[in-house]
Amino acid sequence: MEDIIVRYISRIIVPFVQLYGLYVILHGHLSPGGGFSGGAIFAASMILYALSFNLSAGTKKLSHDVSSVLESGGALIFAGMGLLAVLLGTNFLGNRAAGFPLGIPGNLFSGGAIMVITFGVGIKVASTMITLFYSLIEGEGHSHD
Amino acid sequence: MTDTLLRLHQNSYYFFSIVLFIIGFHTMLTHNNLIKKIIGMNIMDTSIFLFFVAIGYVRGGRAPILEPGAGHAYINPLPSALILTGIVVAVSVTAYALSLVVKLYRHYGTIDAEEIMRLRGGETL
Amino acid sequence: MSAAAHLPALTVVVPLFFAYLMPLLARWRKSWCAATTLAVLAFTFFSSLYLANRVMSSGPFVYHMGGWAPPWGIEFYVDYLAVFTALTISGIGLPVIVYGIKDLPHELKEGVLGWYYTLYLLLMASMLGMALTNDLFNLFVFVEICAIASCAIISIKESRECVEAAFKYLVLSAVGSGCLLLAIALIYMVTGHLNFTFLAATLPGVMAVYPKNILAALALLMVGLGVKAALFPLHVWLPDAHSSAPSPSSAVLSGLVIKIYAVAMIKLLYKVFPATFAGMAPVMAMLLWMSTLAIIIGSMFAIVQEDIKKMLAYSSIAQIGYVFLGVGLASHNALLGGILHIFNHAMMKAMLFLAAGAFIYATGVRKLSQLKGIGVTMPVPAGAFAIGAMAMVGIPVTNGFWSKWYLALGALDAGKPLFAAVVLVSSLLNGIYYLPIIVNAFFSKPEGAVAKPGRLPAVMTGTLVVLGAGCIIFGIFPSLVLGLVSRATRLLLGL
Repeated sequence: MEDIIVRYISRIIVPFVQLYGLYVILHGHLSPGGGFSGGAIFAASMILYALSFNLSAGTKKLSHDVSSVLESGGALIFAGMGLLAVLLGTNFLGNRAAGFPLGIPGNLFSGGAIMVITFGVGIKVASTMITLFYSLIEGEGHSHD
Repeated sequence: MTDTLLRLHQNSYYFFSIVLFIIGFHTMLTHNNLIKKIIGMNIMDTSIFLFFVAIGYVRGGRAPILEPGAGHAYINPLPSALILTGIVVAVSVTAYALSLVVKLYRHYGTIDAEEIMRLRGGETL
Repeated sequence: MSAAAHLPALTVVVPLFFAYLMPLLARWRKSWCAATTLAVLAFTFFSSLYLANRVMSSGPFVYHMGGWAPPWGIEFYVDYLAVFTALTISGIGLPVIVYGIKDLPHELKEGVLGWYYTLYLLLMASMLGMALTNDLFNLFVFVEICAIASCAIISIKESRECVEAAFKYLVLSAVGSGCLLLAIALIYMVTGHLNFTFLAATLPGVMAVYPKNILAALALLMVGLGVKAALFPLHVWLPDAHSSAPSPSSAVLSGLVIKIYAVAMIKLLYKVFPATFAGMAPVMAMLLWMSTLAIIIGSMFAIVQEDIKKMLAYSSIAQIGYVFLGVGLASHNALLGGILHIFNHAMMKAMLFLAAGAFIYATGVRKLSQLKGIGVTMPVPAGAFAIGAMAMVGIPVTNGFWSKWYLALGALDAGKPLFAAVVLVSSLLNGIYYLPIIVNAFFSKPEGAVAKPGRLPAVMTGTLVVLGAGCIIFGIFPSLVLGLVSRATRLLLGL
């Protein structure tokens, strides 16, 4: 699609959408939203970019390979935090008992492991959405995801 | 009569979620187009989400963010949290189903269930 | 606390963790994938063994996720049924993937092998989770993971039949999950709990106030789990799905996946819903008749099949009927037979599918009529097939005998001799479709592709030998598992 208005506007919107996505992800433990919502918003910005320009422009920013690696990475952060709690001597996904600093409730850096986990979920969801989009668009070749 | 209507009004979330469920299920059963079947599946899922979230609603309640000193009622956050999981699942099922439809289209050149059935020679899909 | 205390969680989390690691491994260290999968499954097997040992010596125990006690946190409840199921899953899942290491490259495209291991580990993790969890919504999440993973290990083959079968399976299974979620909503609405223990405590009181809610929830649960477990009128997706999938997938789908939903149903019916619900709806009687129909009609359909894997798939519909027969009869011996059959059938059906896969691997022949004389040219897989077939029929010294024996005894105990007759008749029907295959395999002259089969890798032969030996060993010494199963039954029935 060669529409100057769409391209121009999406070029303006995309950074703000991404910023908003990051905000929702990082404030997952303080406000409604979190990994899934934020990740979906972030992914929407990439999908918008790829739609309004074209697929190759989109994959130049974030390639299919990178997004599928991130997909595994996000999930591994989640499981890794859980296992870290086990290593630190509490139950799986333990938080305060494992000794993660809780901080002051209401501050950005609080909630111990939850923030890291939300971030992992955010990465996972965003990259999954993008990978799904690429896979459905590309069809053949990368159709195994 | 008015009593029934009043109760229906008070429980309108449940009523409309059931209506949506029936619409979705009907779409899924009666349409041959595979994409429409998936849309029906999604409408059905959405109706269940609506039902589940409505359970947690407290009249006059706010989003459950704890603020010091505020004494108002909060809605029950658990159903919302559970439904977020449900939505994630629905998204992945939908994406997977769509990718299967892409594959089916590549194999048969159509996304009509009856047409596929005919091409296969009688067996039902 | 030592690491052993966390094994309930680790049994589920470690396969999940490595499932997500697998795509990365497939990218950079392709040759490590199979070995890692094997190591992870061996870990789950040994940790299930450890849990079984601990449960047998010191009784059931709970594990709280993140240290949050219920009703807030998610709880894993490690009891006899849970460890029995976990042992079955990891004990059958391990040999199947050992076989798959050689078989899969033959059946799948090169690029998707790593993904297959991911899906397989996801499937294992979700099934183990379903076995261990004590939380209704957690159960739903695992059910969903299991549903998607099991569709995906069918469609990964990318042939026409597979994609179609997977689509059908996915849509029906999505309807099932929808029913399950609605049931959870209805239950949560009136009880305010999701934990099984808390539900069991609150349901009797709630049932008096909101009987319709609970009744609707029960019906939806039965339909939801029934679709996924392929209980008779809801089985339509199973034959295509299980017969078109790659052989290791068929083995694990038929052997384990449909059973785990039966386990979930056993948990819900016996642990969560109080005994009084039987007065509201004749659930057990319905289960009995549905399972009877499944046993008879499944076997009848199996008789007329031409394709070996399709025949085995129809046979699975009949065999899941046995499990539900045990559940429906609800006497001690019958439930024991039903639960025992989960393990026995997992072992023999996995072996039968793998043996059928071995025939297809070496000869490319799927038609039963063309498999004449296969016993002469491929004695080991055909021997394994023969043992599996005899176990299906229920001939003594095979494990299948014991589950049928207990089911028949249980039917008599429950005062319903009709169902003992059903078990006998179905054995006869099983004989009708399995024995001719064996006779033809060993006493006919091999022709065509069957006469000179390709070489079967030693790993595949070895797996079949191990599973075959297992069928015989558990047939001669059933006490190896009976202790655990009988304790599970007693706990469920509250004896």
